[in-house]
Amino acid sequence: MKWWPMIGISKVLTENKKYATKTDVKRMKIFKRSLHIYTIDVGNSNILNFEMRALQTPKYNVHRFGMYFAASPRHADLLIVLGKPTKKMIAPLLEMVNQIPEPFGVMLLKGCESSGIDPDELKIPNVVTSVNGCLDPSEILAILLKISGRID
Amino acid sequence: MIYIYFSFIFFALGVLTTFYRKVSYIMATIGSAFPFLAAVAGMHTSFTSNVFVLFNGFNLSVGVDHTSAIFLLIASISWFTISLYSIDYGMNYSKKMPVFFNAALFGMFLVLIARDALTFISGWEIATVFSYLLIMEHKHSFKEAFEFLAFGEISTVSLLVAFASLYLENHSLAIVGSHGNWIFLLMATIAFMAKMGIYPLHTWLIGAHSRAPSNVSAFLSAPLTLMGVYGLVRVLSIAGQPEWWGVLAMIFGGFSAFWGALQAAAAKGLKILPAYSTVENNGMILATLGLSVVAYSANLAVLSSFAMITTLILLFAHNTTKSLLFMAVGQAKEALGEDTIDNVRGVWTAVGKIPAISILISGLSFSAFPPLIGFLGEWMTLEALFQSYKFPSILDRLSAVFAGILIALAMGLAAFSMVKLTGYTALGYDHGKKARTIPSFTMRLSEIILSLIVVLTGFFSPYMLKYFGYGTFLSGLFGVPKPFLIVSSHPVFGVVSPTFLTIVIGTLFLFPLAFYLQKLRKVKRVSAWNGGIALKEKEYFTAPAYSFTLEYIMRKVYSMKEIKVGNKRYVSVKDVTTLFYSGLKRATEIVAKFLSLTLMNGHIYSYVLYTMIMFILLFFLIK
Amino acid sequence: MKKLLGAYRQNGEEHLILQENGKVFVQEGNASEFENSVLLESRNEYVKDVLSKEEISGNDIFDFRYGPVTSGIGEAGIFHLYTYGERILSVKIDTSYKRRGLDERMINSDINDALKLSEEICGNFAISHSTAFSRAVENALKIKVTRDVELLRSIALELERIYNHLYVISRLAQAASQQVLASHLMGLFEDSLVTNKIFSDSRYLMNFNAIGDVLKIPSRKELKDVSDRVKKIENIFSKLYENSMSSGNYIDRLHLTATLDAKEAELIGLTGPSLRACGVKEDLRAYDEMYPEIEITSDEEGDSLSRMEVRAGEIFESLKFVRKTIDDLNLADETTSPNSIGSGEGIGWCESPSGTIVYHVEIENSKIKDVYVSTPSVFGMSAIAHSIVGNIFTDFPFVVESFGVNFSDAAR
Repeated sequence: MKWWPMIGISKVLTENKKYATKTDVKRMKIFKRSLHIYTIDVGNSNILNFEMRALQTPKYNVHRFGMYFAASPRHADLLIVLGKPTKKMIAPLLEMVNQIPEPFGVMLLKGCESSGIDPDELKIPNVVTSVNGCLDPSEILAILLKISGRID
Repeated sequence: MIYIYFSFIFFALGVLTTFYRKVSYIMATIGSAFPFLAAVAGMHTSFTSNVFVLFNGFNLSVGVDHTSAIFLLIASISWFTISLYSIDYGMNYSKKMPVFFNAALFGMFLVLIARDALTFISGWEIATVFSYLLIMEHKHSFKEAFEFLAFGEISTVSLLVAFASLYLENHSLAIVGSHGNWIFLLMATIAFMAKMGIYPLHTWLIGAHSRAPSNVSAFLSAPLTLMGVYGLVRVLSIAGQPEWWGVLAMIFGGFSAFWGALQAAAAKGLKILPAYSTVENNGMILATLGLSVVAYSANLAVLSSFAMITTLILLFAHNTTKSLLFMAVGQAKEALGEDTIDNVRGVWTAVGKIPAISILISGLSFSAFPPLIGFLGEWMTLEALFQSYKFPSILDRLSAVFAGILIALAMGLAAFSMVKLTGYTALGYDHGKKARTIPSFTMRLSEIILSLIVVLTGFFSPYMLKYFGYGTFLSGLFGVPKPFLIVSSHPVFGVVSPTFLTIVIGTLFLFPLAFYLQKLRKVKRVSAWNGGIALKEKEYFTAPAYSFTLEYIMRKVYSMKEIKVGNKRYVSVKDVTTLFYSGLKRATEIVAKFLSLTLMNGHIYSYVLYTMIMFILLFFLIK
Repeated sequence: MKKLLGAYRQNGEEHLILQENGKVFVQEGNASEFENSVLLESRNEYVKDVLSKEEISGNDIFDFRYGPVTSGIGEAGIFHLYTYGERILSVKIDTSYKRRGLDERMINSDINDALKLSEEICGNFAISHSTAFSRAVENALKIKVTRDVELLRSIALELERIYNHLYVISRLAQAASQQVLASHLMGLFEDSLVTNKIFSDSRYLMNFNAIGDVLKIPSRKELKDVSDRVKKIENIFSKLYENSMSSGNYIDRLHLTATLDAKEAELIGLTGPSLRACGVKEDLRAYDEMYPEIEITSDEEGDSLSRMEVRAGEIFESLKFVRKTIDDLNLADETTSPNSIGSGEGIGWCESPSGTIVYHVEIENSKIKDVYVSTPSVFGMSAIAHSIVGNIFTDFPFVVESFGVNFSDAAR
């Protein structure tokens, strides 16, 4: 008998205490145990793209919180909009929001760039949070945990 | 007997009323209902007409016995539905066409009810010539029609030789009873194989089927190739059932099935794909017939009889399903005016739901989707081939295994090609192209009839087996009541029950369906996900691209070439058998040119005169 | 051989930005004499293969559009793959979806604001862009930069190179389904980002550079920490790399995929590790006095594997450089605050992880009057479009990832 399950459970119980955020979010508790995420780059400077990749590294191990990165918006519960859209990306972004099955949430990560249109002005439905600035993966993870209702 | 005469009368009326196309086709429809009744009447008690003596030893007579009744039953279903389909479809073609149509039906009917070689050959030739004229109805189809006629005549000539040898040996031209020699069997087999489109005599079939009007394609593909099978069954009963014939039939049949399926997978033309599928199916039919013969010669009566019923079920499945496929595809082709798979996308929205469902059902049947009739046919084929371990001779076993491997590959490839056809035409996105509205009531009616037949005969297949006289393969086991279980041998080797599969699949399907219907209103409907922006016309994944991987892997077999002419790029795939025939054609041309320059450089009229004089002289001399 | 990297107009004359034998210079001339001049005109809209003039057509040819939103590319851009199924015949890359017009926004803005904008062009090349920009401004305003600042910039540049190369190699491993290797490399990638944060207070080395100066001078303790972490990355990476090179089916996916020869590469205007993988030993760092002991990594074959090997070699080289430079670093206590007021014109360049970045600026009273940015991804994408021809769909990720290009870099 190995004690891995106990270690795993204890990690889940303790580690989500490590992440905390003050960002205001609308909670989507039905995704507490399984949150499928799709990210869309709408014209950021690549930093947010890289941060989303960094979030998928073993260091953060988001799978233990039931978070997965989907390969198609049709499989997604949460859409993360990375950056502020360029003019040409507005149509694909809205089409993407149209494609996600309900119920879904949209998370706007606006990044720290000055260029682009403010996504808040696009009147995207079901926005659960809208965050300014370049965040660390741990901060992004904290927001995701808060959305899925795992932390307060 | 009276049904036969009625049928003749209605076909004759059809020819006479040719200027009123609708009436003429209605006559053909009624006329082809009577063979069905004749078949039902003759299924268990055979009957024959009076013998009409031409001159000594040369008699004409017609009649129906058990064998011809089965074939007549199968063929008349196609005749009826194709004639019904033609009532509306024929309005797109000339006023001559009903004459040819009625006459060709008459010819085929004559083949199936002939009791002697002369009637048989007359029917054969009538069917061939009028089919040729039918193909010619389509513009620019002279080359294909001529190729059809050339192979048709090869078939007739071999048949003449066969019957001549039969006459020399027996001084009788009756095609019932048991006599005949190997020359007869060989020549007759070549004749019928050409008609069935067995490799390497299949090249005519592709051009003719794809060029002809669609009702004619259905007609050529289903009932006309059935004549070949009927002929084979008939001559085998005359000439005994020699083992060598069975072995050759398995090898040729297996290879033909494989080749047809392989070429179908790479086909780009809307009607070329079903045409190659015909080659594949006829290959399977020949192989099972061969298996039956080998089993018979090895005294395996049960296996022989199982292989025979397999042949009949395959034949039934192919006949109904292929008629259906050609009809539905033909309607789409006529409505959209396009002839490649790619350009006939979106039949569901552009043309209609009935043709789309018909394409889907026939595609599923050809891909052996349970519980459709095509599934039963392919299950029985494999089941029969699995039992080849019972053969005493190692050669028989090896050839059965060889055929089995090729047929199994063919079945897989057939599913691949049917996905291509149905996926792009019936289910694909449409081009936004507006289809021409054509009167299509009878087209849809006959498609519905055939779709129902394809679906329901799967369900009621045990009764069909019983009706054809093979009730011994029905049993009850594993809680399935008798006679709903089809067994492949005694003692039991393998079992299947299409009836219960239907019930199980249907029941399993009901729950998701109920769930779906309940949630129907809440379902969010969006267009397919295409990376965020709508697809442009040029961005659709094409049908040739779907099969390119296969073509690349098998590039040696397909002689696949990626061709680059200036800016134009395309992939060329060839049926290499056509290369042989085009080589032959060129050689003939060269030889003919040489001869005409050296030997026969006189005036054409002198040759005609010479021929006539010789003919008259011979006539008097022989007399 | 001279490579055309950019062209700008000044007083009605056309000036070309050229690179030859590891040196960047400006020359008057006519851009249309170079094969790749088409790219300079079209790069805001699309990038295509400059060496092939023919437009491919045919009934069966269709446009397999990959983008603008796919999980495969991960950036807003479109690859139009023209094909008759499986084999790729021609490629057109649409960069317009990510065009933010940053270089246009730089005009008439303050120098320090423009520096921020230059970092925004491509976040993962932030330090390269800002270094090239500030060098251009320093040239224009004749600002003398201290050796300490140059050294710190070099360390930052090498740190950027390390994480970008690690990222590229891990993406290649992921494309070949080498999940264990890819996860380990992604772990190293995250480690190197943390190292960046210690060094510059930003995971992507942003807000580090200033005109003639750096905004943060790391403390001795931080430098020690960076050195230790770099050492750890070196240990782990060398083991991983060694093991990965013995995996036959990984190497096989990369080997002979999208081969490019030196002549073609130079005609396209390719620079950086992708060019060095074609056998051209050309590196801007070779003439930089901050790099006294640099060894240029290069390879012969010019395929995806060579590009990967060159990048791996550069990771080792950069790790070594960072450690050695930090050990030898003897920072002066005071830095001079440079005076960035005036007018002038100048160019500045920098060896980014994917090739040469060049800025040409004209400054009038501390405001940018005109700016021209030459980014390596434009030429990298053209090289993709050229070398992918004849390959099949499944090779697509290997080709694209191995060049290490970014849409944000190309579209600006």
